[in-house]
Amino acid sequence: MNDALTAIGVSRRYGPSMVVEDVSLSLPAGTITALLGESGAGKSTLLRLFAGLEPVDTGEIRLGARRLSAPGETVAPEKRRIGLIFQDFALFPHLDVRRNIAFGLKPLAKAEIDARISHWLKRLGLEARAGAYPHELSGGEQQRVAIARALAPQPAAILMDEPFSGLDPSLRGSVRAQALGAVREAGIPALMVTHDPAEALEVADRIAILKDGRLLQSGAPDEIYLQPASPSVAAALGPVNRFRARDLPAGLLPETTAPDAEVLVRPEGVVLDGQASVRGRVTSRTLTGPLVQCVIACDRLHLTALVPRAEAPAAGTQTGIRFSPDLTFIFASGAT
Amino acid sequence: MTGLPALIAGLLVGLPVLAVVLAGLLGGGGEAWTHIRSVLLARYTGNTLAVIGLTSALVLAMAVPAAWLVTMFRFPGRALFEWLLILPLSVPGYVLAYAWSDLAGVAGPIQSTLRSVTGWSARDYWFPEIASLPGLALVLACALYPYVFLTARAAFVTQSVCTLDAARSLGASRARAFWTIALPAARPAIMAGLALALMEAAADYGAAELLGVQTLTAGIVRAWKSFGEPAVAARLAIMLVLVVSGLIMAERWARGRAGSQQSSTRWRKVSRIDLTGLKGLGASAFCLGLFVIAFALPVGRLVWRSLQVQPNIAPIGGAVLNSIMLAGAGACFGFLLALLIALSVGTASPASRFARFVATAGYAMPGAVLALGALALASFLNLPLTGLVALGLLAWVYASRFTAAGAEPMIAALGRAPVSLGQAATSLGASPLRRAREIDLPLALSGAATGALILFVEALKELPATLMLRPMNWDTLAVRTYAYASDERFAAAAQPALLITLAGLAPVILLSWRLARSRPGDAP
Repeated sequence: MNDALTAIGVSRRYGPSMVVEDVSLSLPAGTITALLGESGAGKSTLLRLFAGLEPVDTGEIRLGARRLSAPGETVAPEKRRIGLIFQDFALFPHLDVRRNIAFGLKPLAKAEIDARISHWLKRLGLEARAGAYPHELSGGEQQRVAIARALAPQPAAILMDEPFSGLDPSLRGSVRAQALGAVREAGIPALMVTHDPAEALEVADRIAILKDGRLLQSGAPDEIYLQPASPSVAAALGPVNRFRARDLPAGLLPETTAPDAEVLVRPEGVVLDGQASVRGRVTSRTLTGPLVQCVIACDRLHLTALVPRAEAPAAGTQTGIRFSPDLTFIFASGAT
Repeated sequence: MTGLPALIAGLLVGLPVLAVVLAGLLGGGGEAWTHIRSVLLARYTGNTLAVIGLTSALVLAMAVPAAWLVTMFRFPGRALFEWLLILPLSVPGYVLAYAWSDLAGVAGPIQSTLRSVTGWSARDYWFPEIASLPGLALVLACALYPYVFLTARAAFVTQSVCTLDAARSLGASRARAFWTIALPAARPAIMAGLALALMEAAADYGAAELLGVQTLTAGIVRAWKSFGEPAVAARLAIMLVLVVSGLIMAERWARGRAGSQQSSTRWRKVSRIDLTGLKGLGASAFCLGLFVIAFALPVGRLVWRSLQVQPNIAPIGGAVLNSIMLAGAGACFGFLLALLIALSVGTASPASRFARFVATAGYAMPGAVLALGALALASFLNLPLTGLVALGLLAWVYASRFTAAGAEPMIAALGRAPVSLGQAATSLGASPLRRAREIDLPLALSGAATGALILFVEALKELPATLMLRPMNWDTLAVRTYAYASDERFAAAAQPALLITLAGLAPVILLSWRLARSRPGDAP
């Protein structure tokens, strides 16, 4: 079993601004952890701290029992055996595919290098492109070369900085499945930085949410999606309707809800149910793909609901509304 | 716009080179050629190649580490060195050669100080001789390294820093990442800068002549002036054209198939690494040493010398006036040709490609070669080499040599404008002529100020063609400097040399100011 990569109380400051603040996060071996947050949340900086590209100001980074970073003490990136994959792939433009993959294999014997290269070319379907230069490759091919290059030296962990956001949407799914399959096989800690909640929920084994340099919550996707610890976490994982409890018509929330509580409801948690006692009027109806987005006027509020097309009422019609309890999150007043 | 104006511009630029080649191939050789071929040709060519080889080694050793240091690290004086190190570009090679022979000669301040400190006499010690082939290479490297400094720095600044991070995550030390990733990725840019520098080195006449090194260019001028054999000079010129073409081919070949353009769309800002203690001092010392040798010391010496003597107003004033008139005429002619070429680039016609190619080739041609071509044409047309004819020919040679330097900034300015601008104009009913006048011309002119300034200053600095073509007693600043310096009248040479350097500073400062404004990936 490989070791976990762990940050313990890590902080990093650029001048007066705290970019990463007291973050503790463990990346277990064999799992893919998605680091989710808006741009400027400190995701890439945290990744660079793990990689040793920047020193920590406080706290520690450990691989198993081995200390990699502590204040005033940083094991150089080349001594860490931590693979990196970048959004722009960062392939070496003057080296062909084969030599890009070979770059990290330098200490090995020639036969072993050749064997590893052949293995990875085959594993990622790149055999025909071995002699091509990066600028001769498609985006998906470049991405696969970057994965092969990072995994070929058998790193102790792998860090991916928005690895799929540079790809064409039509390509993203298949490349992602292939790439993450290879990462999972390696059985090492893997961190994937992303700003796309759907991607995090879809492919990660664990999700960590970062905001303004602080870690808000980490856990399994289901847990985070269904039991967000704060309104910020709930909002980070997708769109929400957000209200004060007292502004909602009676009957939508449990009776015990405090009137000044913060209420967040996911659009798919707004159920259009003809039998429900609370009534509203559909003001708009927009097809968004498999689901239809309806905006419903109810008292002075506007609610957004996502419903299957067959169940979506026409604009202008009256409908009953209720909230699905597992997609409705109630927080004490003042929670952020 | 049809291809005709570009075709005419291309022919005007290319005619002198064509004339030289024809004159060399068709002209009779005679005894002088037999003599030169059997005795001097190998020496000229060997010296030229040796100067080129040694100069490139020195240029690379000076420019690449300096560019890497100011781009990637933080050390005392870094921001200052970033532009100080460009300044030697303003000093012509022959001025630097003259200043250094003054500085390092037996009677110069360096050896005098050495003697007064040690109490030795001049025969008691060995001192490196500046008037030698290595001395010439050092002087040329000092004058020309900024070409490589600029291109290498641009390549290092725009490289995706992510590739360096990736290299380190794959186990490469900082040094290995530099040698295996940053340097090869920057190689095409470095080679392009080096090719420019070496073309200048091959074209140099003044420094080689002042330091007594018999290069091909010096041989051309001598064959024409001393032997009175233009055909022999033209044959030597063909040899030089071959050497220069070899340089251009080497540069093309060095680009190879490997990509150098970054595939990335995202730049992480360069976060410079702090060099503290001895390392920081070492970096500062390297940059300071380079600046002192290539600029501060020689230019300081010029200032010192020119303060020692009463300003020699009459001859210098005349030379200033002549220089301005001549360089102005050459710049105007070159500017017109450059504008025609720049405006034709959008048409992508064969004529436009031809004109642009010829202009680039003309830029690589030594002034002595072009002057010979103009002389050959004049003798073919039976034109007397006096007064306005000579000045006209000289302006033409300047234009032929420097049109590319004027055209490229305009082409770049046009290239930055989206293609859709022209298409929008056409869709609004503008004729090709109206489009050229109201859209393309104003856009090209935004790059024209730089182009015109470069043209003017280059023409002002030009020495060998001016020496060969100028009418009797028509002296420019460059000619005055050279004449005084070759008579070892160092004090008298200082003032015109300083004036040329001051004029040369203008485009260099403009250039570094532009660089400072358009800098991707810099740390805040």
